[in-house]
Amino acid sequence: MTETQDTTPKPPRQEPAKSTLPQPGRPVPSRAYPGALIVVEGTDGSGKSTQLYLLKRWLEIGGYRLHFTEWNSSPLVKSATRRGKQRRLLTPVTFSLLHAADFADRCERQIMPLLQADYLVLADRYTYTGFARDAARGCPPRWLRNLYRFAPVPDITFYFRAPLDVAVNRILSGRPKLKYYEAGMDLGLSYDRAESFRLFQARILEEYDKMVESDNFVVLDGTLPVNKLQKQMRDIVAERIDLKRFAPRPEEAV
Amino acid sequence: MSPNEPEKPEAPAEAAPAAPPAPPAKPSAAPQGGEADVSSYFFGEQLVGCDPSDITGKLVVIEGMDGSGRSTQIALLQEWLESEGFAVQTSGLRRSYLVGKDIDQLLARNAVTRMTLALMYATDFFDQLEHRVLPALRAGTVVLADRFIYTLMARGVVRGINRDYLTGLYAMALRPHLTFWLNVRPETAFAREFKKAQAISYWEAGRDMSLSHDLYWSFIRYQTMIKREFEVMAKRHEFIDLDGEASVQAVNKQLRQKIAEQLGIRAGKYTPSAALAHLWR
Repeated sequence: MTETQDTTPKPPRQEPAKSTLPQPGRPVPSRAYPGALIVVEGTDGSGKSTQLYLLKRWLEIGGYRLHFTEWNSSPLVKSATRRGKQRRLLTPVTFSLLHAADFADRCERQIMPLLQADYLVLADRYTYTGFARDAARGCPPRWLRNLYRFAPVPDITFYFRAPLDVAVNRILSGRPKLKYYEAGMDLGLSYDRAESFRLFQARILEEYDKMVESDNFVVLDGTLPVNKLQKQMRDIVAERIDLKRFAPRPEEAV
Repeated sequence: MSPNEPEKPEAPAEAAPAAPPAPPAKPSAAPQGGEADVSSYFFGEQLVGCDPSDITGKLVVIEGMDGSGRSTQIALLQEWLESEGFAVQTSGLRRSYLVGKDIDQLLARNAVTRMTLALMYATDFFDQLEHRVLPALRAGTVVLADRFIYTLMARGVVRGINRDYLTGLYAMALRPHLTFWLNVRPETAFAREFKKAQAISYWEAGRDMSLSHDLYWSFIRYQTMIKREFEVMAKRHEFIDLDGEASVQAVNKQLRQKIAEQLGIRAGKYTPSAALAHLWR
């Protein structure tokens, strides 16, 4: 995103003779596409979704071309996930595979095409959620890394870090009943859902912390006031991403 | 299995000459469990939460393209094994309770892309492995698998998915005790499939790959690509390569011989019951 461009009309991009994307199943570096990918990660209750929503509003109001995508939201895979959760059929491996299938569907049909089309893509949770949660469930990290190897590498990954008690209490106070898999009941950590949730989240937090350096997370303090955090987030986005690129194209302005 | 390995056709565990060959006697012989013999039970990685040391059954895989005679042979083998006093369980593609029907719908609507489909099939495979195949094997049952990871990997590879990726995806699959490949020419398979349904389906002909608008040539080109992948895997995974164009009886005899050997029984005579007599030609 280094070259500067203004919004004067430019000729449409030519299709390259050879795809700039690697073979599916191989890593996708951010230079393979013109768009930009911003990801938020963190445990439940870390404040990441609120912050991404505010970032999205800021960019929408500014008129930037963007697309927002959420973990576990592909309609193609939804009925299977619902059935698996309701009937408690999911094992660590099938839980992981089903979420990877969901991600693949959004990746192939939304994220990759829009990155190719020069969009700003915002993702509420990304592959790191799979790495952290599924590793907490006992899946081998090496296997997980391979599983999501087809995912494009984000330009910025914000990691909202909140102390375990803060995050857990935010969730427990606002939710009447935790769901079975959400609470990590399948792990047999505790018969008490709240206690199981706390133990499960502790494991996830530990897995996230392991990735901070290796995956270049931008760590933000989830306990800060909402508007302060949002200011930090916007500053980092403006500094690292050439937002002018994503301003409305004249021909698209209505 | 390391995701960072350069383009190499297969996982180190399998490529290394010192690696134990396909499992034949191992699982039943020495039930030690433990880390050391993970590679004799699994392709590369221990299945999460699975202790394979208590497996007493046998996993027999029948592979081959559509029209190779797999389901005919499996029906006959099931009857023969039951008459010999063995409990039989079957597995196959898209038969999982978890996602079997969902995959049918995705295929029917044809709105699915290659990586998503590959992962849905992997989910289907592991759901059956964990909920159907492994419990049966622990109970001493003979599991007849109508296709296995090999078809799934071949389909992915011909659609351009990285081979190492797929090897890693199926690293936690259980190694079969026997793998048969009913090897037929695509032309023969076409004729048999057409006779069965008076049509060739979109996916059997690999039409998602835009190989040809001509249905016949699309089928032949697609199945030839799959067959080539099988030839590569046949050597690496010690497939028992059977001529699928031979008569049902001849193929069945060879299957029974090998399976009887694996089960430690004598391969006696077998004639199908009246219910299956129509398959015996």
